[in-house]
Amino acid sequence: MSTRAPKEELELLQGTLDLLILQTLAFGRAHGHAIARTIERRSEEVLQVGHGSLYPALQRLLKLGLIQAEDGISENNRKARFYRLTAKGRKRLYVETSRWEKLSNAIARILSPLPEEGR
Amino acid sequence: MFGWARQRRQLVDEIEEHIALETQENIDAGMSPDEARRAAQRKFGNVPLALERSGEIWGWYWLERIVQDVQYALRGLGNARGYTVTLILTLALGMGAVATILAIVDSVLLRPVSLPESKQLMLLYAEGRREGTGVSSYALSYKQIDALRRYVSSFAGVGAYNTLVRPVDTKSGTKMSVVTEVSTDLFATLGVKTRLGRLFVAGDAKEQVALVSDEFWRDELQGDSKTIGLAIRVSGKMVTVVGVLPANMRFPQGTAEPTVYVPISLNAQGADDYMMDSGSTIVRIRQGVSKETALENTQQIFAHSDEKNAAMHNQLRMVSYREYLTGDVQKPLWALLGAVAVLLLIACANAANLQIGRAASRMPEMEVRMALGASYRRLLQQLITENILVSLVSAALGSLAAWIAVLLTRRAYGGQFARFDELSVHPPLLCAVALLAIVVGTAAACGPLLSIRRQRVARGAAKNVTRRSKLPAILVALQVGLTCVLLMVSGLFLRTFRSLENVKPGFDPHDVTTLVLMPKDQHQDAQISRETETRLLHRFESLAGVESVTMQTALPFSSYNFVLDGTTEVVGRPFHDGETAHYSMVSTDFVRTSGIHLLQGRSFTQSDESGGTLVVLVNEAFVHKYLAGRDAVGATIHFHRNPGETDADIPFAQMMTVVGVVENELEGGDLGAPYQPMVYIDYLHLPKESLLSMVFSMMAQYAVRSKLPESTIAAELRSAVKQEAPEMAEMTLRPMEQGIADSLKQRRLALRLVGGFGAVALLLSAVGMYGVLAYSVTLRRREIGIRMALGSSRTRVTGLVMRQAGAMVLFGLIPGIAGAWAAGYAVRSFLFGVKTLDPVTLAGVALVLVAVATAAAFMPALHAAMVDPMETLRAE
Repeated sequence: MSTRAPKEELELLQGTLDLLILQTLAFGRAHGHAIARTIERRSEEVLQVGHGSLYPALQRLLKLGLIQAEDGISENNRKARFYRLTAKGRKRLYVETSRWEKLSNAIARILSPLPEEGR
Repeated sequence: MFGWARQRRQLVDEIEEHIALETQENIDAGMSPDEARRAAQRKFGNVPLALERSGEIWGWYWLERIVQDVQYALRGLGNARGYTVTLILTLALGMGAVATILAIVDSVLLRPVSLPESKQLMLLYAEGRREGTGVSSYALSYKQIDALRRYVSSFAGVGAYNTLVRPVDTKSGTKMSVVTEVSTDLFATLGVKTRLGRLFVAGDAKEQVALVSDEFWRDELQGDSKTIGLAIRVSGKMVTVVGVLPANMRFPQGTAEPTVYVPISLNAQGADDYMMDSGSTIVRIRQGVSKETALENTQQIFAHSDEKNAAMHNQLRMVSYREYLTGDVQKPLWALLGAVAVLLLIACANAANLQIGRAASRMPEMEVRMALGASYRRLLQQLITENILVSLVSAALGSLAAWIAVLLTRRAYGGQFARFDELSVHPPLLCAVALLAIVVGTAAACGPLLSIRRQRVARGAAKNVTRRSKLPAILVALQVGLTCVLLMVSGLFLRTFRSLENVKPGFDPHDVTTLVLMPKDQHQDAQISRETETRLLHRFESLAGVESVTMQTALPFSSYNFVLDGTTEVVGRPFHDGETAHYSMVSTDFVRTSGIHLLQGRSFTQSDESGGTLVVLVNEAFVHKYLAGRDAVGATIHFHRNPGETDADIPFAQMMTVVGVVENELEGGDLGAPYQPMVYIDYLHLPKESLLSMVFSMMAQYAVRSKLPESTIAAELRSAVKQEAPEMAEMTLRPMEQGIADSLKQRRLALRLVGGFGAVALLLSAVGMYGVLAYSVTLRRREIGIRMALGSSRTRVTGLVMRQAGAMVLFGLIPGIAGAWAAGYAVRSFLFGVKTLDPVTLAGVALVLVAVATAAAFMPALHAAMVDPMETLRAE
């Protein structure tokens, strides 16, 4: 529990959240609330447990060196902590996205999906 | 840790900011500020959980958790004071006992003796020697020791000593004191330095010089720094003190007897005055040479030397000086360690039961915590933290108790048992105790955890009328079993003690006073001593109120016994190697005074003296061994001489005729010792110039039978000695029965200790059983109520509880008896007159346990009987 190295392989659900965070940051730096907002807009499911679960995920990505944090001023002029992708994070996002696509294509071929599209 | 603290603050700010932004958005969307904030918080979820999970990612959190757990444990324990105090006392008792005995074992048996390179020091002796004449089985002759010194290359040093008791005159008067004759190289071999003055040097062998022990210097010479050069009189001879030994040097026995050391005086032939093998031998093995090699080397030298040595060579043995010193206490100490380990186990079982009870009462709390998201592992960690905390506090208390106990033991027994003056609690031992505490804490936490887990699994079935747990009952059964072991051992010791007290010493000790005298001048002519001693004998006999008096070189319970162990041949019976008998000199009235039973023949008479042959009495053991199937009375015996041996080897060649057989008589101070074949010679009938007579006249032991009060007879005897023989020094004067009591002192101590442990174990078991039954009755209130509502009587409900108690005792007793049998086997060498699995003791122990269980079950049973069925039904 104490100093165990974070898992390199991302768990499916957890990985989804991690991937979504990376994806969100691909468009530029953002603070926690903004990330939550964006993800919430894209996928209601993942953050269903509450915005709170975003923060452990951010810490995990920080530790893996995929993102970095910096202090800045938010849109309504308050001090906030901004996150941005590192080069490593960008590469990882690319790898994971293509893997994800392959996987979801494979799954899509096996299961004929119900004609319902996420928002 | 600090990194995480900063990061955590940052994260808290960030989360606050997050919620603030969300609130703002909600307000913008038209909510009231209150509602907006609540909605934002709801959306965010559990803030502490998010913080905790984030912390886990960085791996910092465990430290914070420990601090949290410790704080929580302290608060929780503080709220349950009665529980905490009971738990800590129980564990402190167990660990204190273990720590005390461990400290003693460590100081006495494990640490090297405080002499330089003491591991190289060995005692060399001949085992089971049955040839010729020797003072003790440890002794070699000085010629042999000299050969060791010259020829054995494995030895870096060889020293010899012989311990005697002699009158010593100082300014403060005459006192009997231990006088150890040493070879001049002994202290150099040991590696001792003096505290004052110098050691002996090679040239001192013929000089009148002495060294004194620290105790002698303090007690008899007032610790005067100007002691060096002072003259003292050792058994009539003036000697000059040349040095004082340091305080920790208690040679050879390790006890605090004030001791004077003088050089061994050897004659031209290299033998001492007694012409016997009287040198105990200490050798220092060369660095890098193993004990086995050294022994082999020595045996080689002996094998290739003269005939006497060659016969002895494979009987030579070596034992380390430490083992020699502590040999007597070794087994008792290990046995005590076993006893306290059992006690600790009982304490642990009790602690586990206490904790199970507490865990059960905390179940609602645990359930709430689990509902709030605590994992099973988290609860586990918290419980173990609490347990280890309790164990460490108990260990600290226990160590403190051990420290005090060790201090008291050192003060009480420092001078009595070898190395007990070195007792102390060493730091590694404290570490071991702390480690033990952690193990005990973790182990004791397992009980409650299992019970929590089981109850969690069974949560669905919470409507069950009875919630029964088997674990506490198993633990109590374990306690009962272990207590049974301790009680059995105490019982066996008690029976041993009783059988020893009832041993027939042969000599009837009632109304007998023993008096031991020695000529102040050791070099006084033996003939004069003998005459004086005989004159005193007759004077004692004539005292008013004295029934009879005997002189005996070996009296039961005397520490001044002098017995000759001589090879013995019966005329008309083939002699086998190693056939010896003990020879004791007595006076004519021996049989009458001792009250010993004469089984065959007659006793000594005054007229024997004029007869030509020497008449002797033998004991039953002698008849059994050498005269079986023959007429004992009239048999002729003599000392056996190998072809070629002369007076110099076996100094006494006269024929002896057996005139009577007496019952076995106890020889030394050990009541449990087996009887040896014994020959009694009338001391007064020995030829006057015989060497035996000379040797035996160096000390006189009188046994006086009289009905007079103890103090009166003592005063009379003393005044008679003063008038008749002022040149004799008194060594002891005491009733013989006191000697018996003294000889049992060590056994009594062991009995008290083990009995004490047994009593504590019994108490702990009773408390444990009471706790479990009381708790079980509380849990079963509903069941009992329903039973009563359905027609069960109060008696039957009481029976329910009693049966439960009975089952615990029964299930404890069965393995307990097996354990007791094993323990009895382990301590069999301490037992006398009782079998390892004694049915009487067993029945007694079972009875005690059942009685205690009944007492412990009484209150819970009463509570069960008082359950009101209406109340229970109302609750349904």
